Amino acid sequence: MHGWGIGVRIGQLSGEVFQVNQGSLYPALMRMLRRGWIRAEWRVSEKRRKARYYSLTASGRRQLTRETETWERVAQAMNGVLRTRSAEG
Amino acid sequence: MFWERLRHILPLRLRTLFRRSTVERELDDELQDHLEHQVAQFVGRGMSPGQARTEALKALGGVERRKEECRDARGMNAFDHLVRDARLAVRALSRNPGYTTVALVTLALGIGATTAIFTVVNGVLLRPLDYQDPSRLVVLKYRQSSTVAGANFLDFRSQSRSFEAVGAAEWWTPNVSDGVRPEELPGLHLSSDVLPMLGVAPLLGRVFTEEETHEGRNQVVVLSYEIWQRRFGGDSSAVGASLRMDGEPYQIIGVMPKGFRFAPFWATGARLWAPLVLDHRLTDRTGASLRVFARLKPGVTVEAADREMALITDRLGKEYPGTNPEGTAVPLMQMVVGDVRDALLVLFAAVGFVLLIACANVAHLQLLRAATREREFALRGALGASRSRLVQQSLVESVILAVSGGAIGLLVAWGGVRLLTELAPANLPRLEGLTIDPVVLLFVGGISLGATLLFGLAPAVAAARVNLHEPLKEGSRGSADSPRKRRVRGLLVGSEFALALMLLVGAGLVLRSFAARRGLDAGFQADGVFSAVIALRGTSHADRDRRAGFFEQVVDGVSQLPGVTGASAINHLPLHGDNWQFRFFVEGRPAVEPGKEPRAYFRVTRPGYFSTMGITMLAGRDFTRDDLASRAHLVIVNQSLARQQWPGESPLGRRLSVDNPATGADWFTVIGVTKDGRQAGWIDDVRGEMYFPNLDAPGPDDLVGSQSSFVSFLNPVNMTLVARTRGESMDLLKSVQAVVAAVDRDAPVTDVITMRQAVDEQFAEPRFYLTLLTGFALLAVTLAAIGIYGVMSYSVARRSQEIGIRLALGAGTRDAFGLIVGQGMRLAALGGLAGIIGALILSRYLRSLLFGVGPADPVTFLGVVVLLAVVALAAAAIPARRAARVNPLTALRSD
Repeated sequence: MHGWGIGVRIGQLSGEVFQVNQGSLYPALMRMLRRGWIRAEWRVSEKRRKARYYSLTASGRRQLTRETETWERVAQAMNGVLRTRSAEG
Repeated sequence: MFWERLRHILPLRLRTLFRRSTVERELDDELQDHLEHQVAQFVGRGMSPGQARTEALKALGGVERRKEECRDARGMNAFDHLVRDARLAVRALSRNPGYTTVALVTLALGIGATTAIFTVVNGVLLRPLDYQDPSRLVVLKYRQSSTVAGANFLDFRSQSRSFEAVGAAEWWTPNVSDGVRPEELPGLHLSSDVLPMLGVAPLLGRVFTEEETHEGRNQVVVLSYEIWQRRFGGDSSAVGASLRMDGEPYQIIGVMPKGFRFAPFWATGARLWAPLVLDHRLTDRTGASLRVFARLKPGVTVEAADREMALITDRLGKEYPGTNPEGTAVPLMQMVVGDVRDALLVLFAAVGFVLLIACANVAHLQLLRAATREREFALRGALGASRSRLVQQSLVESVILAVSGGAIGLLVAWGGVRLLTELAPANLPRLEGLTIDPVVLLFVGGISLGATLLFGLAPAVAAARVNLHEPLKEGSRGSADSPRKRRVRGLLVGSEFALALMLLVGAGLVLRSFAARRGLDAGFQADGVFSAVIALRGTSHADRDRRAGFFEQVVDGVSQLPGVTGASAINHLPLHGDNWQFRFFVEGRPAVEPGKEPRAYFRVTRPGYFSTMGITMLAGRDFTRDDLASRAHLVIVNQSLARQQWPGESPLGRRLSVDNPATGADWFTVIGVTKDGRQAGWIDDVRGEMYFPNLDAPGPDDLVGSQSSFVSFLNPVNMTLVARTRGESMDLLKSVQAVVAAVDRDAPVTDVITMRQAVDEQFAEPRFYLTLLTGFALLAVTLAAIGIYGVMSYSVARRSQEIGIRLALGAGTRDAFGLIVGQGMRLAALGGLAGIIGALILSRYLRSLLFGVGPADPVTFLGVVVLLAVVALAAAAIPARRAARVNPLTALRSD
């Protein structure tokens, strides 16, 4: 998927809650590229321009799993705290 | 996992490095594509295309900034910035051509001179000798003398355990008499172990064997590459051919490779090698003419070998009293360079000082420039450059300056090495093959880097400290001239001064030494004397009973040439020729312990020698023809010998003998006393000297050490002709050659030199060091003067406001002048003080270069201080005059 497409997709999947800041999208992609989590290849986009299409690498997939786990742990902890609070009123 | 990442990252980074424009275009394409999608979306929502574009750009938030963020995220920062800094630096430097030129020239001179001297140090002192495993080669000698007698050498060889090979070498100058003109070639007689010991295989043929070092089998010779080329045109059929030397045919059995040299000291000119025959010298312990070389066994140290030599000579000394003083083993390299090591290192240190001064000057320039660029830096800082970036920029500029200076310096060094090789005295060892090799290149790189640190650090630190607010304010003239800054500048100039003073003291001491050398009395009149060696070996006049007659005819013939006011002959010319010493016995004195007899230089002269040479006869008379004809046993001694042996009385009529009176003396009567003169080396102490008449005496051939009587030494086969002329003495050569050829066609006339040249030869080495040291000292003083001038000028410019106020308040122009000059002189004084202390400490190391002058010579120190004071005064006075001319009104008004 190319950069524009990624932004659109994130918006879709999150029910338009996450509006990707266009300014930070590409630098973020660059950073991930540098760490080897995604790879890029050049293709002609629908607009007949050359654009870079990104895909996950094996180590990127591993990183995703790690991040997901971390997020779930945080979410659980958050829930625990909030439920307790509301219970205390 | 790390390797995976590397696999991804590396191509990325390389790509960014090498295909910059492509990468930039890709980034552009990507963002354009994104924009187009955004525009499409907005248009889809009902905006006009123009509006959509504007909104899309707004949403993205500035294309350039996003690009920069992407570039940052890409992580090529460090290198990117480096390249950019380099480009900026080059542009900044080229915008200031005056400053850049001065800095580059200063650096190039400093680095170039240092590299040139280092090339010499490397080529002479550091480079290993051109033999196999040269660090294992040693010279066996006595502590006080270098030459060994035949029987002693043989005992060294048989009694030692530390060496895997021991060999000997002896001077040999064969007369080559094939072809048009007879020629004397420089060569060596070698024992069979020497060439194999060196581990260099012959280019053609072979080296000689042990069998060939015996009488009858010894007429073989190994040629050097040069002789082979010159006389045989490099034809390989030379091996096996015959060469007529000393009247005998020698078979050429081998040729050594190009560039092979032996011996590396003492007989550096030897170009052919033949076997050393010791058959007649197996028991000779007095004719010390051999030099002994050895190769250490693996695992044996030089110290162990040295100890063994001491033991061996001790044993031999007891067995044969008076023949073997304490022996020692010395590394071959030390014999080659030992004499010049100290002097070369002094030169190296001196040029190092010059480099330090040059760096200080450039650091100064950099600081001044940094001060003027404060506004620029402040602006950049305000625009977002971090301090570390500013420092990095400053350093990059310094590096570029240093590298460029180093590159130009390399050119300077190349020229300098050429110059040095031209000027260097002929006896500077290992001069040939002095090139800029990888070691030197490494050195240049190293000191360029070091220089960068030295002069780049100060401005970099200044950049780091830059005040970001002050300089930008309206009306600001840059940050105040803080005391710290003044101190740094003062320190720089002060240390320049100290270094320059130390160099001047060194140069001054060497200069006075040189003058002291020249001041020594030669003892003879050097100007207008022509000399040449005539060697009879192998000619028809080589027979004992024909030699003296030959020399008489030649001397007569030469003395009749037009322009010649006197001619004579001597066995060895003072200063230039060989120097033999014989022990002697005085009549009527008690026997002396063997080995402790007095020794004197041994000369054989023909009548008229002293008048030809201009040597004053203090008492008595010269030999006459009648003396020679009657074979009278007479001797002439010099003042020193007379004073030593017959103090307070006239030696005339006294008798001495070279043969031991106990075994049958041959007494010679003293008939004259000459004034002392230079003998072997110009600055050597004068020793006893005895002159014997050139008698033709029958007897066995006077090979050194052979068991012949002393008298046969008075009939040498070679003599040096001397002739005093009214005009230019060198013009005599052709006429002399004609005279000699008329008497004997095969007799070569060689080693032609005038006494003036022989004397000047003695000064070649001291003059070389003097020239270099003085050159460096003057360079240093010039640089230091420029340094002071620069500081003072800057100070005046900075303080013109202050000076204007003072003047307006009533101070006289003289006070302004005095203010600046006083400041300058104070700097100079402090620096000078440090310099004097430094000079006192370091001048000790100059001892090997000094003569007649102590390292703390007050005259020199005083002279240098006065000179530098004048220089400092001048350097401060010029800007000070500008200060005095400051118009108070304009100064106060200026921004």
